[in-house]
Amino acid sequence: MKSERFRWYTYGLFSLALFGAMLLCVCAGSVSVPAGDTLSVLWNALCGKPSPDGISGAIILSVRLPRVFCVALIGAALSLCGAAMQGLLRNPLADGSTLGVSSGASLGAVMAIAFGVSIPSLPYAGTMAMAMLFAFLSLMLILFLAYLLDKSLSTSSIILIGVIFSMFASSVISLIIAFAGEKLKSITFWTMGSLSGSNYAYALILALALLICGAVILRCSQELNAFAVGEDNARSVGVPVRRVKLTILIAVSVLIGISVSVGGTIGFVGLVTPHIARMIVGPNHKKLLPASMFSGAVFLLLADLVGRTLVSPIELPIGVVTSLVGSVIFVIVFYKNRRKG
Amino acid sequence: MLRKSVSILLLLAILLSASFALADGAGITVTDMKGREITLDKPATRIVALTAADCEILCALGAGDTLVGRGTYCDYPESVLEAPAVDSGAGTNVEQIIALEPQVVLMNTMAQTLEQVEALENAGIKVVVSEATDIASVYEAIGLIGALTGKNAEAGEMVAEMQAAFAEITANSENAGKTVYFEVSPLQWGLWSAGKNTFMDEIATMCGLTNAFADVDGWGEISEEQVLARDPDYIVTITMYYGEGPTPVEEIKSRAGWENLKAVKSDAIFGADSNEISRPGPRLADAARALYEFVGGEAADN
Amino acid sequence: MLTAQGITVRYGDKTVVDGVSFSLREGEWLMLAGPNGAGKSTLVSALSQGAAYAGKIELDGRDLRAYKPSELARKVGVLSQGHEAGYAFTVEEIVSLGRYAYRGGFLSGRDKDGEKRINQALADTGMDAMRKKSVLTLSGGEMQRAFLAQVFAQSPQILLLDEPANHLDLIYQKHIFSLIRDWLSLPGRAVLSVVHDLSLAKRYGTDAILMSGGKAVAQGGINAVFTPENLDRVYGMDVYGWMRDSLKQWE
Repeated sequence: MKSERFRWYTYGLFSLALFGAMLLCVCAGSVSVPAGDTLSVLWNALCGKPSPDGISGAIILSVRLPRVFCVALIGAALSLCGAAMQGLLRNPLADGSTLGVSSGASLGAVMAIAFGVSIPSLPYAGTMAMAMLFAFLSLMLILFLAYLLDKSLSTSSIILIGVIFSMFASSVISLIIAFAGEKLKSITFWTMGSLSGSNYAYALILALALLICGAVILRCSQELNAFAVGEDNARSVGVPVRRVKLTILIAVSVLIGISVSVGGTIGFVGLVTPHIARMIVGPNHKKLLPASMFSGAVFLLLADLVGRTLVSPIELPIGVVTSLVGSVIFVIVFYKNRRKG
Repeated sequence: MLRKSVSILLLLAILLSASFALADGAGITVTDMKGREITLDKPATRIVALTAADCEILCALGAGDTLVGRGTYCDYPESVLEAPAVDSGAGTNVEQIIALEPQVVLMNTMAQTLEQVEALENAGIKVVVSEATDIASVYEAIGLIGALTGKNAEAGEMVAEMQAAFAEITANSENAGKTVYFEVSPLQWGLWSAGKNTFMDEIATMCGLTNAFADVDGWGEISEEQVLARDPDYIVTITMYYGEGPTPVEEIKSRAGWENLKAVKSDAIFGADSNEISRPGPRLADAARALYEFVGGEAADN
Repeated sequence: MLTAQGITVRYGDKTVVDGVSFSLREGEWLMLAGPNGAGKSTLVSALSQGAAYAGKIELDGRDLRAYKPSELARKVGVLSQGHEAGYAFTVEEIVSLGRYAYRGGFLSGRDKDGEKRINQALADTGMDAMRKKSVLTLSGGEMQRAFLAQVFAQSPQILLLDEPANHLDLIYQKHIFSLIRDWLSLPGRAVLSVVHDLSLAKRYGTDAILMSGGKAVAQGGINAVFTPENLDRVYGMDVYGWMRDSLKQWE
């Protein structure tokens, strides 16, 4: 009983690891800036002094720092969503990308851009709102279809429908892009993701969303434990099943929708990091959710670092790196678990 | 005078190397850009062109009336829009093309499969591949299409005109040491730039500029911080403007961290016509001229 | 304590439970018996709000549907037939989920009684030594005991058990059934269970409903229900004869 939650020093350790990863990602990049310069730029910015001369100030403060914030926040958000859905659906393969929610969000964002859905005076709101709405609608549709096929929402049927839905959403996106032509030329953004457009405004929106939706999901830890044991069990111990389910699905849709509209579809983060976290801290969501958030942030930071630096000056799409690394890790984890169980 | 005769010589060389147009009365035999030999009884009068550049070449040669079908992306000149559109690229639909009863289909090899080519040929349609990767091979494509349509003389003139335009730009450009960064896709979707072996790179060279991303082969997604570190003298964006929000040039100027770039400070950002500068057709000369005028104007100001 | 009137459950156009009515009184152990497909488990699902039903169920004079989930959980505990926890939760974590309904709101007090109840339930079911074990490593019987401990920790007034003897070997069958009988001996409690083993049902039950094809064929005191005529009709065989014959193997 005593060890259901993390102690403060565990959180301290996590924060230190996250901070270390962020610092590494600010210091390293495609253009090499001496670590000393980087730190003095950061220090001056913290103290409100102007940056030292040269290009390093612009690179650190305008390019790397906002990107590192966005990457860490998206990593944490996607990983939290993955962990929550894996618990809620009692399905270790559930994740925004396997369930087709990310594709649904992309579809919403693409439609918003193609048909010019925008909210005056709020620059990104139209795209984000559509991404969130479509994330939620596709989640509902997928769950509904899976439920028709198999009432127990078993692993295989829900993933099957998720994959089919992903393909459907991708082809509709291609169709819209074909008709909208040049306006949406960058199809790679919607299939592989890109974080080069990161700025502080995005980081702020992500942080707010993660603060609110993250708090909602973390408060549902015990309910998620009950769902992870079984929905019938959750009902019999007194969990208000429908309300909790709806709450979590909405929170997840908001987070995925915003993440997709900032960074495009980034696969595997939400699938792999909760798995690794679960291997280390166990399945209890009181520990699993925070551990997933931290490890998701660190994982995506490192993946982005690889994408930015591996074949400089070319930048690899972040989705390519996460899928590559993620699928390898996933296979290893999967087989290890199989042998154990 | 001298220049003109040089270009005529060049033209002859090209005509020979492309080895087409042996009009021996019995028919026309051409070798397409994949080295395949195609024989026609007489100049083609019904053509389906799948690529935008081939449509442009056909029309510029005065053979626009032979066009009985076009790829979906073909949109210039406006007259081509009258021809029915067929799916192109990955979605190429053989049946659609056969239904239009063309004698010749012009395509590139990027997305068509061998099976599709065979199916067309089994239907008695000649498949001609035009695949220009640099300006020299654009001349070849023009010659090829001229031969197919019996417009050899027009093709020769067109190539000569393009050569003259490029030669004039090359001769007058004084931008040694200046660099240019081509932006193919804006920051929001990931920065894509055109490196070496692109038309943009060739045009930059004509204008005496050095491509800042000459170390990238073809088009590639590049790091924002690399642009900042390389600090180009000119920025050329080919992002289209859709009449809402800031124009692509304004958007570049407003980017955080870009305000100290030489190109931003001296307002040396040029919004180029994306189709002119990226399609292997006759309008490459217009694109080169536009860039030349832009950087030349800059030079005059300094 | 619990009354049910005209409970009917339909899946599509198939009627699985057809107009069953009964009442469960304090101190009663009501056995639901009948052949496979009689609708016993579905009736338990309806009672635990897991299946949509027509008819009326009242708990302490109030419609079951009007209860909040956590209120209901403090009054009714359910042990379902199959358990397949997807993740490596420990026995202790499973059992402590039983206290969910007692967990206060966000800022209100903690469940002071909880730890005691959990320890008691673990001890009662013989799972104390395995409290740190992952449920994925448990045998079927251990799993059943772990979930029974969860229901005990929930400290309800009514237990709804679907096949509590499932997967249990003889020792634990006896153990668990005695435990439930002891649990029932305290005032204000009642048990309803689905039991396949008619001998166990007869031995521990006070009342019974004999179901067939979704209908209650006979109901009342256990001995009044488990008559040769009733059983023969429902099972389509000579149940008494078979039972006596089986018993002879041991003489």
